[in-house]
Amino acid sequence: MRWLKENSLALAFLVMFLLAVGGQAVAGMLQYNDQQLAQGTEPVSLLKYVASSTFAVDVAENWQSEYLQFFLFIMLTVWLVQKGSPESKEPHKAGAESDEDQQIGRYADADSPAWARVRGIRLWLFSNSLGLVMGTIFLLSWLAQSVAGQAAYNSERLGDLRDPVSWGAYVTSPEFWNRSLQNWQSELLAVLSMVVLSIYLRQRGSPESKPVGAAHTSTGVEG
Amino acid sequence: MRFPLIVTALALTALTTVGCAVDTASPARAAEQFHAALAARQEAAACGLLARETADKLPDPGQDCAQALRELRLGPGGRATSVSVWGEDAQVRLAGDTLFLHRFSDGWRIRAAGCEPVRDLPYKCEVED
Repeated sequence: MRWLKENSLALAFLVMFLLAVGGQAVAGMLQYNDQQLAQGTEPVSLLKYVASSTFAVDVAENWQSEYLQFFLFIMLTVWLVQKGSPESKEPHKAGAESDEDQQIGRYADADSPAWARVRGIRLWLFSNSLGLVMGTIFLLSWLAQSVAGQAAYNSERLGDLRDPVSWGAYVTSPEFWNRSLQNWQSELLAVLSMVVLSIYLRQRGSPESKPVGAAHTSTGVEG
Repeated sequence: MRFPLIVTALALTALTTVGCAVDTASPARAAEQFHAALAARQEAAACGLLARETADKLPDPGQDCAQALRELRLGPGGRATSVSVWGEDAQVRLAGDTLFLHRFSDGWRIRAAGCEPVRDLPYKCEVED
């Protein structure tokens, strides 16, 4: 019970993710089968739809944009600041910060992770692990989007009695960039909104907000 | 723990998309059989290889599918020179024709035949749904 409470945030998002992706699979299959019938072709099972390029590209294009959003947010907030925002550091802390501030090397605590106490490649890797993992997942998701997208796009083109296109032609096509950019713009707007609105608005009890009574000018303070 | 899971999910996504082994022989065979039937004046057999929607739309009023195919006098097909399969759809280029096929539960069926390319537009086909 205690374990559940201590991990309730991750668990809640995991359950919501599974429900949402399951719902997307069912709704996507129903929409796909509706189109199949209209085109004189056969409906597919849920399993076949989930293994299709149509489902894969829809999933991957959203994944890549979410991981890009977090990757950019993590990396840009190292150097860029926003006065008054709890999402930002205080302006004088811009940059990678000192070893003391980051509790690494001889400034590490007794309970610091092992790789924070050593020097060299392990410290560099651990110091950048969040950005590296988010960036890698973004690139892999974007690659998956391009591969699945090409397959779905070519299936559609063959259905329209048109020649299929190569991967190179697909990743320079309006279809690929429309799918990518329409997701990117919404993610970037959401981050912009969070950075700016959190200067002036509050959510009592949320660590994503400043304390209700904090000044609009105070930066890097989380409630 | 979460990272390997996500990588596995992405790899599975890519694998299911690309497919392990794409069967190009079956659509090529269906396309060759269609033209072989026409060459042998077995139009009824050729009609059996058409997608239902294509076969239904082909005849003019008062005709059946076989009569309509006979009238079209499609040129010889020949051997398959290239096959593209994406999902449930395929394009088969024969020496003398380009065909578009769809995979139904009972096998590959021809959706369009006697097709000529049109720059930046869909192929123009003598037989299509």
